[in-house]
Amino acid sequence: MDSASAAPLEMCSVRVGKTLFGVPITHILEIVGSAAVQPVPLAPVYVGGLVHYRGDVLTTVSMRRLLEMPPIEALPDILVFDGENGYFGLLVDAVGEVLTVDRAAFEPNPSILDSRLMQLFAGAYKLKDGLLVMLEPKRLDPMTLAAGVAA
Amino acid sequence: MFQTRLPIERDVDELTREFLIESQEGLDRMEHCLTELEERPSDNGLLAEIFRAVHTIKGTTGFLGYARLEKLAHAGENLLGLLRDGRMQANQAIISALLSLMDGLRAILHTIEAEGQESAGDDAALIERLIALQQSGTGVAEAVTVAAGACSAGAASEMLPTASAIPVSVLPEAPAPEISAVVQCGSDKPRPNTVASTAESTLRVDVTLLNRMMNLVGELVLTRNQILQATSNDANLTVLSRRLDMVTADLRENVMKARMQPVSHVFSKFPRLVRDLSQGLGRRVRLQMDGQETELDKSLLEAIKDPLTHAVRNSLDHGIEPPEVRIAQGKDPEGLLRLRAFQEGSHVMIEVSDDGAGIRVDKVRDKAIERGLVTQERVAQMNERELMQLVFLPGFSTAEQVTKVSGRGVGMDVVRTNVEKIGGKVELDSRTGRGTTLRLRIPLTLAIIPALIVVSRNQSFALPQGALSELVHISSEQDATVIEWIENAPLYRLRGNMLPLIFLDRILGKPALAGPIEHDRYIAVLDAEGRRFGLVVDGLADPEEIVVKPLSAVLKQIGFYSGATVLGNGNLALILDPGALANKAGAAQEAEEEQKRIQAGDEFAEAIAAEFLLIEAGGRQVAIPLGDVLRIERLARKRIEYLGNRPVLNFNGNLLPVEDQAGVLDRDQDSEQQISVVVCRDGNRQVGFVVEHVLDVAAGSDLSEAGTEVHAAGVTLLKDRVTNVVDMRSISALQGVEAAQQWEATQ
Repeated sequence: MDSASAAPLEMCSVRVGKTLFGVPITHILEIVGSAAVQPVPLAPVYVGGLVHYRGDVLTTVSMRRLLEMPPIEALPDILVFDGENGYFGLLVDAVGEVLTVDRAAFEPNPSILDSRLMQLFAGAYKLKDGLLVMLEPKRLDPMTLAAGVAA
Repeated sequence: MFQTRLPIERDVDELTREFLIESQEGLDRMEHCLTELEERPSDNGLLAEIFRAVHTIKGTTGFLGYARLEKLAHAGENLLGLLRDGRMQANQAIISALLSLMDGLRAILHTIEAEGQESAGDDAALIERLIALQQSGTGVAEAVTVAAGACSAGAASEMLPTASAIPVSVLPEAPAPEISAVVQCGSDKPRPNTVASTAESTLRVDVTLLNRMMNLVGELVLTRNQILQATSNDANLTVLSRRLDMVTADLRENVMKARMQPVSHVFSKFPRLVRDLSQGLGRRVRLQMDGQETELDKSLLEAIKDPLTHAVRNSLDHGIEPPEVRIAQGKDPEGLLRLRAFQEGSHVMIEVSDDGAGIRVDKVRDKAIERGLVTQERVAQMNERELMQLVFLPGFSTAEQVTKVSGRGVGMDVVRTNVEKIGGKVELDSRTGRGTTLRLRIPLTLAIIPALIVVSRNQSFALPQGALSELVHISSEQDATVIEWIENAPLYRLRGNMLPLIFLDRILGKPALAGPIEHDRYIAVLDAEGRRFGLVVDGLADPEEIVVKPLSAVLKQIGFYSGATVLGNGNLALILDPGALANKAGAAQEAEEEQKRIQAGDEFAEAIAAEFLLIEAGGRQVAIPLGDVLRIERLARKRIEYLGNRPVLNFNGNLLPVEDQAGVLDRDQDSEQQISVVVCRDGNRQVGFVVEHVLDVAAGSDLSEAGTEVHAAGVTLLKDRVTNVVDMRSISALQGVEAAQQWEATQ
């Protein structure tokens, strides 16, 4: 695996508010743009709503809600993941480009980060002009989030 | 196959997959045959079938390199060979051992499936057991090995009468008891099989493929709905879309048929289960299964598996009594457990019945009270049927000690939940000492259901029509008056019955709107969980046939939604769960019933208003509302005075107009004759009625004109007779008070 550690990684970048987040493209099942999301009354706060995806009803998690940011008018883009408990979607403001990052540029979560964000973020990569905060689908699965809330 | 439904690993290669599937099927057949074998130990057909199953597994395992599996199968094959040849008779010990063999083989197959290889370990104990049984039969451990395919020219596959016709090489020494089967040459020649023709006309289809087809058909239904909506105006397209409609419906029906499987898939595991359980519990039970060819959608079959298992366990554990007890009661020591499936209209009924001890209603009641599941007062009002339903409450169990087999206090509640989840219903019938029957009623179609679309705060929701009883429209003006409030519980009077109401927007956590309601609303009257209640929504849209899509676990937990769907207009809608809403309403209803009791006093007072004084005058019976009656005067005829032509009575300067519709006064001229005058209140004034007899006080019921809901005025149903009610307004007022006063003045 040593030779592979030098190989660059490809990340799909997404924007939520002012922050740029990244997800390894191999983890993403599909990207859906500008989808209409149906809210679910009484759902946990991090649930963005339901989206019609390939014949199924997809539960989506809203990054804005997770980060306690105010809602915006525009329709979100969706990253579709194949989680352990089935498909789910992640709502982001906009999907950006695929970025290639250098493994060496990885930084783990800083210790000053509050515990909740510690759980959500998986470190970051230093970019020429800013940070790419890493997200891991496993951590964003609705079931994982549900367990986290209960804990 | 079905009862050993395993998610086939993606990595396991094709050949192994085939092997696993075939072997599972073979073992299922084997299990079925083994339980029948107990009844008919010398049935050659069964023995051959069982032998074949094991033999096939053994053959393939060698090829695929599963050594452990091969060893075990081999040991079993030896024993089975002896049985098949008639050299041993199957008894209970042997059958138990063969069942264990089957379990052992299944377990290894499981591991292969999950992990791609056999688990470590051996089955020495089981093999020992099989060997021992074999020895007990023949008295000799046959140290014979078989080289695969070493059979010489095919001898006929007839039974060997003795050990003398061993067609294979014999090893002089036998170090470890190397048991092998006395293999008949040609025994693995495929027998001319009449079953083959059936096999050729059927296909084994991967379930995932069928599910995908179902999904696609579902999508087609949705698209059809959308097209129907969009083309309703265009004449050309209407014809085409109608054709599309027909074809879609047809396709859907056929795909659903493809998913149907006979209930035997579920029933087939019960002979074994009943055998094991009855032995373990010391009961003698005969299992009778009818209607196994009845078909149900595969996913429904899956869903009722556990409920049925639980029901069967209950029957054996609590229902059927031990043989001695049964004999003492004059029953056959062998109890009967009957599984029955049949189709009734659009439902499939599955019954589990036993002729055991039945459910002790008094014990049920006591236990329910003891567990705090119900109060003494409620219980006192319940009839026997209602008391029996208490077993369905969560947290219930009448087992004196929670046995391993059942009765953990989660049973019947889970049974009912699981059945209702698939749209079915559960009924329980029992007679003490005679037996119990559990009836499951399962709807035939599942994933596509008719629904009514309701709107609340601009969001659409789907309401399954199965629970919908009627719809009531409330205009904005009516709103304030028509919804009655008792102790903060909103109620609606539906044809005399109080219907507890729940507001959908409030249930869903929407904040209350300020100010009075400005728009019309609707009440959907729903029946669920044995309750009737009304769901108040802002608006109604068209009914639609919707495809039920499952929700993720996180959202299912909310409880109020049973799924989601895509509407004809393309929007997603959540499907409401009437059962969960019913439970919410139930809380409201309890409050309402409490209030009822407290209000008993008020109601009594109100009741008088609905009562009438029945009087007879001039041969006719008329009714006067009792609430209006002040008193009945009995006085001499001469007291009647006349103002002009009108008879009046003078009470201390107050003039009372007297109505004599019966003409009593005309008849009786005798001044001393006693007459009865009923003094009544009519608004601000008083009037008197001359009557011949006061007959009775009775309650009257409203009548409405036939075919309308219009209240028939002026009549009431009193003692089963339509009776006129006196219309006091018809009694004209006295001509001016001045006239009376003048008259007064002249006295």
